Amino acid sequence: MKKPANLIYALEERPPWLVVALNGVQHVGLIAINLVYPVLVFRLAGVPASMLASVLCAGFLVLAIATMLQCRRFGPIGSGYMCPATFTATYFSASLLAVKTGGLSLLFGMTLFAGVLEAALARGLQRMRAILPTEISGAVIFLVGLSGGIAGMRAMLGTGAAPVSTAEWWAAGITLGSMIALNVWGRGLLRMLCAFIGLVAGYVAAVLLGLFGAEQWQAVAQTPWLALPEFSHVSWSFDAALALPFAIASVAAAMKTVGTLAVCQRINDADWVRPDLASATRGALADGAGTAIAGLMGAVGINTSTPSVGLSSATGVTSRVVAYAVAALFVVLALMPKLAMLLAVMPRAVLVAALLFVICFILISGLQVMSSRLLDARRTLVLGSAILGAAAVEALPGMGANAGAGLAPLLGSSLVFGTVLALAMNLVFRIGVGQKALLTLERGAAEAQKIEDFFVARGAVWGARSEVIRRAAFGVQQLVEAVLENCWREGPLAIEARFDEFNLDVELSYRGELLEFPLTRPNERDIREDEHALRHLAGFMLRQNADRVHSEAKDGRCSVLFHFDH
Amino acid sequence: MELATMQEGAVVSVAVKGRLDSVGADLLKARVSQLIEAGTARLVIDFAQVAYISSAGFRVLLIAAKLAEHANGALALAGIGGEVKRLFDLAALTEMFTILPDRAQAVEALANHGR
Repeated sequence: MKKPANLIYALEERPPWLVVALNGVQHVGLIAINLVYPVLVFRLAGVPASMLASVLCAGFLVLAIATMLQCRRFGPIGSGYMCPATFTATYFSASLLAVKTGGLSLLFGMTLFAGVLEAALARGLQRMRAILPTEISGAVIFLVGLSGGIAGMRAMLGTGAAPVSTAEWWAAGITLGSMIALNVWGRGLLRMLCAFIGLVAGYVAAVLLGLFGAEQWQAVAQTPWLALPEFSHVSWSFDAALALPFAIASVAAAMKTVGTLAVCQRINDADWVRPDLASATRGALADGAGTAIAGLMGAVGINTSTPSVGLSSATGVTSRVVAYAVAALFVVLALMPKLAMLLAVMPRAVLVAALLFVICFILISGLQVMSSRLLDARRTLVLGSAILGAAAVEALPGMGANAGAGLAPLLGSSLVFGTVLALAMNLVFRIGVGQKALLTLERGAAEAQKIEDFFVARGAVWGARSEVIRRAAFGVQQLVEAVLENCWREGPLAIEARFDEFNLDVELSYRGELLEFPLTRPNERDIREDEHALRHLAGFMLRQNADRVHSEAKDGRCSVLFHFDH
Repeated sequence: MELATMQEGAVVSVAVKGRLDSVGADLLKARVSQLIEAGTARLVIDFAQVAYISSAGFRVLLIAAKLAEHANGALALAGIGGEVKRLFDLAALTEMFTILPDRAQAVEALANHGR
């Protein structure tokens, strides 16, 4: 793992304690934004306001456990990345359905079911590699950003929301403006703590502008400073009719975890080329276990916090030690209901502004992951349809109204719909895609453009990385050019390219003399004056260009194999 | 491949467009030889629009550098980036040339050459 230049404290590094503590506070402040999901679900379930803080405290304890499971490695569980847990929009619609249908016991029973299912899915992620290609991970990251961003905008400006007052615009502007200014122009601690400082600025602005009124102060004042989390509300039941929406949410949670961990991997490694599925499997197992624990302890489903990962990318602090601080702060919050209540009553303007800030980083991460692969018409359609489908769900919230109980959950969430659409179309489009391709060149018509076009077209069909395809195309073009004059005697030159997600092998065969692939470059004078040295320079470059080269000659037929790690 | 030549004071820049392979290398070699014979000793070769360079392309650059040196001048390369930069590194020849970010800087550097 190579530390990227923009990271200040990487995964294995130990920042000063003040940086750890303040970053921990900042992440918790950001994750607190998602308290809106359990707050709304519990309100709908009829949990009285006086009990809300206590129920939220149980949720904080769940987040502490889930964060530790994710950032530490306990046997097969945990990715090891600084990727805290959060309450999530992924389970939101299914959870609302559960409390409407069977109250809190059904919510917790179904959440437990979803967690176990996600953990079971995690074990199969390696075998599902073909149906979960990198560009779909990118699409899921993008859709998480899209759905979160639109939810934030809707909360602020949507038709169902209360009209936005001038004071709220000012509070949102101050919050968002502080975060952006500190992130773009800030240095050191100011940049690292941009989200937290922005949140504090937002709270101060909200108080000064009268947005944090008597109701909020009273709610905070009436909540005790210290208390143990309350579990008396916990019981479990199961309803088979709700298995599908929770199963879909669980698949989306697993996908989102894989996508979020891909971002973690990418921001921690300058040499990142593809998601590490072994780490993602451990991460999805931890995430599933976290949701199962949430069901057992009386909370709503959890997931990896993509905004938090976006924040660590923005601040340049991805140290695992920060995750320990986050977990410790969750425990503190679990024991301090007054603080939980202070976060629970975060003014709308502050909440939405903070959400929009982090969503920007998620959206661009998703785009970058998608565009890291060559995209042919099939992949373009898969990604385009997923994004368009998700946008349609957001723009036309009533489109699932008559879809029936089975499909309603699918059409009820842009993230779920876009993800399922991408997965289904990817499966269909796998039909007829060969992983092997042949090109034959004749001596008089060995145009470089033909070779270039062949590799670009196949790379797009395979969804290969453009950088690897460029190297392969160069290798073949340079070899053909080098052997054309003196080595390639007669007959056609055959090129066979074989691809899987991890390897690209290109085998060339022709009749004639074998090209040499020396380990050292000929000197400049020889290159200028000696034809042999010129061929040696070509062989030297080809050896450097591929990850492995193997060549052999048998009965006048030469064979050269270029291997590229993918 | 296309070549465009531009006289800028005592410096001549040759902008290469396309692929500098064995065919292109012959064209560039002929143009460079012609310029040196005509008395040009300070040469800039602009790679801003080059997408590919092969071993034959590197050879002609080494020849051009030697010809310019024999004429008491110098050769500078400009606009090398992306894939072409990777290929220079691949050939372990980056250090053999004077490379400047763009044509204007290369021309300025050669205009002051030998002063």
